[in-house]
Amino acid sequence: MAQSSALPVEQYNFDIVRRFMIVSMVYGIIGMSVGVYIACELAWPFLNFDIPALTFGRLRPVHTSLVIFGFGGSALFATAYYIVQRTCQARLAFPWLAEFTFWGWTAGVALGVITYMAGFSQGREYAEFEWPLDIAITLVWVAYIVVYVETLRRRTQPHIYVANWFFLAFLLAVALLHIFNNLAVPSGLLKSYSLFAGVQDAMTQWWYGHNAVGFFLTAAFLGMMYYFVPKQAGRPVYSYRLSIIHFWALIFLYMWAGGHHLHWTALPDWVSSLSATFSILLLMPSWGGMINGIMTLSGAWDKLRSDPIMLFLITSLSFYGMSTFEGPLMSLKSVNALSHYTDWTIGHVHSGALGWVALVSFGSFYHLMPRLYETKLYSQTLVYVHFWLATIGIVLYITSMWVAGIGQGLMLRSFDDYGNLAYTFIETVEFMHTPYVWRALGGAFFVAGVLVMAYNMVMTVRASQRERAALEAKLAAKLAKA
Amino acid sequence: MLDWFSWFTHMENSKPLALLLFFGAFCGVMLYVFTGKQRAKRLESYKYIPFDDEPPENLRSEQRSQSPQGDGQ
Amino acid sequence: MRHEHIETNSALMLLLILVVISIGGLVEIVPLFYINETIEKVDGVRPYTPLESRGRDIYVREGCYLCHSQQIRPFRDEWLRYGHYSLAAESQYDHPFQWGSRRTGPDLARVGGKYSNQWQVQHLKDPQSVVPQSIMPRYPWLLDNDLDYSDVADRLRAQRAVGVPYSLTQQEYEANIAKFGKEIADQLDINQAQDSLLKQAREKNFDGIPNKVTEMEALVAYLQVLGTMVDFTKYDEGYFAQFR
Repeated sequence: MAQSSALPVEQYNFDIVRRFMIVSMVYGIIGMSVGVYIACELAWPFLNFDIPALTFGRLRPVHTSLVIFGFGGSALFATAYYIVQRTCQARLAFPWLAEFTFWGWTAGVALGVITYMAGFSQGREYAEFEWPLDIAITLVWVAYIVVYVETLRRRTQPHIYVANWFFLAFLLAVALLHIFNNLAVPSGLLKSYSLFAGVQDAMTQWWYGHNAVGFFLTAAFLGMMYYFVPKQAGRPVYSYRLSIIHFWALIFLYMWAGGHHLHWTALPDWVSSLSATFSILLLMPSWGGMINGIMTLSGAWDKLRSDPIMLFLITSLSFYGMSTFEGPLMSLKSVNALSHYTDWTIGHVHSGALGWVALVSFGSFYHLMPRLYETKLYSQTLVYVHFWLATIGIVLYITSMWVAGIGQGLMLRSFDDYGNLAYTFIETVEFMHTPYVWRALGGAFFVAGVLVMAYNMVMTVRASQRERAALEAKLAAKLAKA
Repeated sequence: MLDWFSWFTHMENSKPLALLLFFGAFCGVMLYVFTGKQRAKRLESYKYIPFDDEPPENLRSEQRSQSPQGDGQ
Repeated sequence: MRHEHIETNSALMLLLILVVISIGGLVEIVPLFYINETIEKVDGVRPYTPLESRGRDIYVREGCYLCHSQQIRPFRDEWLRYGHYSLAAESQYDHPFQWGSRRTGPDLARVGGKYSNQWQVQHLKDPQSVVPQSIMPRYPWLLDNDLDYSDVADRLRAQRAVGVPYSLTQQEYEANIAKFGKEIADQLDINQAQDSLLKQAREKNFDGIPNKVTEMEALVAYLQVLGTMVDFTKYDEGYFAQFR
């Protein structure tokens, strides 16, 4: 390490990776805390405090944007920039452009969140940013693609490793989705009307919405998985051939599945049937990928006992498998009739978002910390503590949402002996209070885990700074003696 | 002009067509990927790419990441 | 062709990925614009008046769509609770659509006319005062804030640009008269947008405060028109089935 710290430049651009990782953690903590807060608002509505900016309707996009784009997005920037450099053995291209993506993305998310609270929203789920921000984000995204692809082109390794395929698909698909879903005509600086209306608009939005999950929250994180699981395990991925099938099947099938968000609506039947069919097919590549990841450990299962980072990665894959089984199930029209419009969907999203996306990111960050800061991780024990807090949180969250969602769905469709509706709507709202309290508690557990991780990270960075200072002092002393 | 689109929207037409196309492509890819001993060996050899990246001056961290305990021990 | 050709050529890989990810969207979305049966042929659906449109803006601003759907499904319980299932035609002028995805509160697709203006105002001001178990936030500021209607013409002009038949020219105005009748056509005329907004507010007085146009006025005007445009008694049961 002495040699490398004495070198004028690192072989790779790790500075940008470090900064994106830190921003990801900061946005993660804020975004998840907002999530806990709005969960509490649903349980105890007085928390809205009659303040417009704090009402559920305005805070909910704040939560979703901060965790998806702030936490998840920054984590993807960090890991994409890290993985592309290391698997291509090339330094990141266009450092100034990479710098632009950092400031552009960080500021874009912050401004978006502030404008939501001020009441500016496009009214499209997960695409609430108004048009000036959409344009700014498009520019940042194009810069991201340019930096990434140019680094790929500068590779010294002839082959492009499978992790990079997933990142490439994510970059292209998100650009496509973002542009088409946000087509709008502005009427003022922060107000616009979408180009499409009604049923076409709905289909475009859920084509976007579902593939935001498929490419932003799945494909890209699979790229993360394909690099960090083998690296942390110290053994190659289970089957390279399976990963070829996994990749092409996944990116092809995902794009068809969006219509299952619109079952039984005014969307024509042929679209929703087609979407349901492809959603079910999607189970295969999803599980193929999960098996590929988990089986990487085949023959070295003991690592699960000795390495908490491995525990994070493998558990994330298990949740991935679980939620990609639940998803096709919920895309069946008969199940969807019950689950749609209820908290079952919210629970499903969180088993993917907390269980898969967040856990695989945490695992990757723990793997990165010692490498980026050239020191040991501050505490292994705290990684275990984080793991258990996170797991308990997720289990509480998704179980309470199953209860709330399935419960409300069943109550709404039940009839009494005379053929009248058995419950009024407000009775279902009352019923959901208890699960809502449990859900908020689950979220709080999860946030507590992230705080433990942040502490571990801060202590690791401080130790790294101390070691470096000591080393430099030693070097200086040696030089002075010589 | 775009009437031919509607042919595809009829489930009785589009279902078998899509099945034929996609299943054909799927079988082709599966056959390509999972047959042939030579090809299998060749394709599987690329999975070691992530391990080519340890910079030579960073020997210590290389040893660390290859130790069975993983990192941070 | 070997897979290696793709893995060693970033441009080829990029291109192939673009092709593979484009198919699904093209097949499912593009036909929706061309197939005539996608939107039912039904009378009565008109664009929102300037006041209703401003109310819709407030609906979007406050994120109502995050707890309330506007899309009734063809099930018996929903029929009993909310009314006839939603038609694609009913949201044909909705930029953006507000179908929603979660019913933390009830569906609003046909809430228009279900409650009095007075009830709506009281409920928005303090939901728990009329539904004690409600978990909806209170929106008292809607009554305090004067509606900003200075840019209403700009807003209608933007919607006209995306295809909503608000009229700017004499020709468009006359087409609207033919399609919606004179009274509605006047309200859809961008040149008199502010006047017709004030006129509707004065005549209907949705917020219960005379001589004042509040944000509440606009929002209640919007809520009261939801789902009321189609007269379902004019159509046979089963007429709409051919479009599904």
